Amino acid sequence: MIRDRTALEERIASLLEAPAQAENPLYEPLSQLWEAHHDMMRRIDRISRISDAYQSIAKQREMSLAERLEKQLRQLEKVARISDRYQQMMHDLNKALRQASTHDALTGIANRRLLGERLKEEADRNKRYGRSFSIAMLDVDLFKRINDQHGHDVGDRMLVELASVLETEVREQDLCGRWGGEEFLILLPETDLDAAQQVIERVRERVRELTVRVDTELLMVTVSAGIAQQIPGESYSRTISRADLALLQAKRLGRDRCELASETAV
Amino acid sequence: MNDFSIAGTQSSPAIRGDWAQGLLAMQGDSYPENSYELFHQVFTWIEAYLADAGRPLHLELRLLYLNTSSIKAMMDIFDLLEAAHLAGKAVSVSWLYDQRNERVVELAEEFKEDCTFPFDVVSHD
Repeated sequence: MIRDRTALEERIASLLEAPAQAENPLYEPLSQLWEAHHDMMRRIDRISRISDAYQSIAKQREMSLAERLEKQLRQLEKVARISDRYQQMMHDLNKALRQASTHDALTGIANRRLLGERLKEEADRNKRYGRSFSIAMLDVDLFKRINDQHGHDVGDRMLVELASVLETEVREQDLCGRWGGEEFLILLPETDLDAAQQVIERVRERVRELTVRVDTELLMVTVSAGIAQQIPGESYSRTISRADLALLQAKRLGRDRCELASETAV
Repeated sequence: MNDFSIAGTQSSPAIRGDWAQGLLAMQGDSYPENSYELFHQVFTWIEAYLADAGRPLHLELRLLYLNTSSIKAMMDIFDLLEAAHLAGKAVSVSWLYDQRNERVVELAEEFKEDCTFPFDVVSHD
């Protein structure tokens, strides 16, 4: 096809160049057609060149856009990944903070704050459902003597061991915490005085079996306890006060014993 | 261009740019309300330093918590450093962490992943 066209073009060019054809009536229109043909060819050439250039620009742009998109996607993935890790870190720190703010640093059992929260919940529950709870206040007998004779380190060890016994011996639903110094509070939900006394006497029995070795000496402790059962309508702080009074009574009556609070005396 | 410093708050890091020493230091938590504005200043300073100073640039970071927009901003800053490094400029980063918070190490390593310039993750007291 191309060869045919080239042959035809050569033939026409030579015809137009031949002087003998100058007088031919076809010479004029043919030479005009010849020029128009060349013009058309040049145009087609230009159009293809421009079109090719555009196409290559568009191609380049598409490639750079794809590249940028891929980079952005990679960055987005990385931001999300790092952000997730920061959030996980914050979450864990929050958990640790919550644990630290609700537990005693020395013994690891509940601290006064957590006891306060739970006491309030129990008091509210009691108000709604009429389920009474009991509170036991426990105090280590003659603890000052241990501190004075063996130093605070031994005193602290004693408290840690004691807290561990208390926590092991209370029932699953009870909450045992350090109220302060050598004083512990045990919250016994939905428990009346008699049942509470059984639990606390068992706890006191286990404490009596506890020994802490200091060099060659074996230290033992006893605890006194006062128990009060919440009276409907009574605030939990008043119940605590009554348990405290019962504890004081136990101390006065010679320590290492458990006293029950009367319903009226505060 | 000159030195600049932004006082830290509870939610935004303390930032200090020392032109003469070629040092940019950032310290603290970063979850600012205006993180774009805040990091824009840092970005502009680094760009200007890299363009004009003709000396090495060192970043000293003691960052703890970063929110998502701060993470994005830090990645943009590291991209800027990476480009400068590939262009033959001396840039480096030290990310300092408290030994009590080892998890910052993992996070700093994540940032470091795509960087080919010197990037140290070191503990401080």
